[in-house]
Amino acid sequence: MIRTRWPFAVLGALVVGAAPWLIGEGALRFVSEAMLMLAMAQMWNLLAGYAGLVSMGQQVFVGLGAYCLFFTSISLKVAPFWVLPLSPLLCAAVAAVVALFLFRLREAYFAIGTWVFSEVVSLLISKTERLGGERGIGLPTARLIDARWLEPLTFWISAVIAVGAVAGTYALLRSRVGLGLMTVRDNDVAAASIGVDVWRNRFIAFVIAAAGCGLAGAVSFTATLYVAPGFAFDPNWVVAMMFIVIIGGIGTLEGPILGVVIYFALRELLTVAFGLTGGWYLVGLGIVAIATMLFEPAGLWPLVRGRLGGDWLSVRRRPPVPAPILAGAAGAAPAGAPSASGYGISRRDR
Amino acid sequence: MMWVETIINGVLYGGLYGLLGVGLALIVGVMRVVNLSHGEFIVLSAFIGVSLVGALPWVHPLVLLLPVALIAFVLGFGLQAVLVNRVVTRPDPFAAILLTFGVAVVMRNLMVEIFGADPRNLPAGRLAHASAGMFGLHVGVLPLLILGLSVALFTCLQLIITRTKFGRIVRATADHRDIVRLMGVNPGRVYNVVMGLSLALASVAGMLLAIRSSFTPYSGVERLLVAFEVVVLGGLGTFWGAMLGGITLGVAELVGLKFDTNAGPLYAHLLFLAGVLLRPNGLFRVRT
Repeated sequence: MIRTRWPFAVLGALVVGAAPWLIGEGALRFVSEAMLMLAMAQMWNLLAGYAGLVSMGQQVFVGLGAYCLFFTSISLKVAPFWVLPLSPLLCAAVAAVVALFLFRLREAYFAIGTWVFSEVVSLLISKTERLGGERGIGLPTARLIDARWLEPLTFWISAVIAVGAVAGTYALLRSRVGLGLMTVRDNDVAAASIGVDVWRNRFIAFVIAAAGCGLAGAVSFTATLYVAPGFAFDPNWVVAMMFIVIIGGIGTLEGPILGVVIYFALRELLTVAFGLTGGWYLVGLGIVAIATMLFEPAGLWPLVRGRLGGDWLSVRRRPPVPAPILAGAAGAAPAGAPSASGYGISRRDR
Repeated sequence: MMWVETIINGVLYGGLYGLLGVGLALIVGVMRVVNLSHGEFIVLSAFIGVSLVGALPWVHPLVLLLPVALIAFVLGFGLQAVLVNRVVTRPDPFAAILLTFGVAVVMRNLMVEIFGADPRNLPAGRLAHASAGMFGLHVGVLPLLILGLSVALFTCLQLIITRTKFGRIVRATADHRDIVRLMGVNPGRVYNVVMGLSLALASVAGMLLAIRSSFTPYSGVERLLVAFEVVVLGGLGTFWGAMLGGITLGVAELVGLKFDTNAGPLYAHLLFLAGVLLRPNGLFRVRT
């Protein structure tokens, strides 16, 4: 399987690498934005779809990632992309600390607890003059990067982050942690009774999701060259992540990809083609999400997959197929025992 | 003396916070669902109040509490009957959260488009500035009235839930949704009325809050967070706990503002996080 996918991966990398010369600047920015949004949505999907943690405060990590990049880049006077790795590290560290007490809250309480935490961080940053207070700060160090390369670099980094988010989530879910998460999601009592450490698995997912959102947030604000608490900690970040995941299909890895396409298609359709303002666009999106919750709570991806068939990015593990074992057994069986050949006809038939 | 006044004002303000939260506490207690559009309904009732005041300028806003509460009751009944009842019985505990969040986003942006994003408030005439002197302390008449009204509403709610036939049905539905069906109760209908009551209480709080401070269509988020903090701090299922939670938050916020004038609700949020860390089951949980 892996071998047949290689040509596609190489082709994809070539297309992404050449994209800045193939499409215009506006389109490049648009695709970068969509890819960062995909990464964030995938992180939210990891939390809500697999770890059973609905976070309404995920924007705190978007904002913290952005502020971390702006602050370190300006203080150290280096080009923003060099300090990019610090953002996910900071967010992971913050997530690890706040998880210690936010994890005392369950379900809806956790959701709003994270939201309150986000508000607290937002208010604290608004009060910190070194970080620009409510007015926000610009990114003068962006001049250290050649202006012609800023957009393409942002695009490539966004592409790497998006692919990394999808592939990383896939790898995580195929791992022992992922199995643990899914058993907890499906039945936490049964999972705990077979020795799955519920808290630890959720903790890992929460820290990873924070790092992912921090990284995507940092790149997203590098593109705008300006950050202020009102934008960085805007609840609309989590609104977007949530709608993408719900509409696409919560608890599937392909869902957010489909969701991002629908989200941006709807946005372009409603705001550009129909000339609606941002408010009406959010109203439309909300209605689509409500309808999805009511009529198709699993999202659109299961419907699409039903049409297309195939396994796609399913993290399902196939149970070991009994055929080779039986074939081996049949080969090893003595010739005088014909009933053991093949699958073995059940006793009832004999 | 100034501090005593601050604390008294915090208590009076907190009564209002308690009222914001008690509707949510009711929903959580009966349906095990958090209505994330609670804050938007609070703001919507304030907008309805402002519109009614505009249409009927000779009527005092406090008189309009009753019609606004009735409208909110009908809206809550409709919200539950049309949307929330469809997901409340699903085993997935997040269905209702995500659905009501969608409702919140739709309502918030509709309000921005219809009423505009400018801050509004509800004029209360001379009453807003009247103050009463007692033992050398100056306390506003309006906050005192508001606290009195909150206590009265809390008492009514408590009596309805503990002493009436309807209250008995609500408590039974909260305990065993499937078993009350055997006694001829339709849980969906009970939920409709409970959601109506919850939003009626929220609308009173929303109107009173609009008299005290200005609001925009985006204020729903703050209102929801306050309401939620009240529920968690108060402990589940106790209405007086919600009142005490509200008062604690009100005092924390006003004392915090005294220290630090541009803090906003920061200290109330910090108190909430500290409360969660120390007592995740609520500060005032009553052992049952």
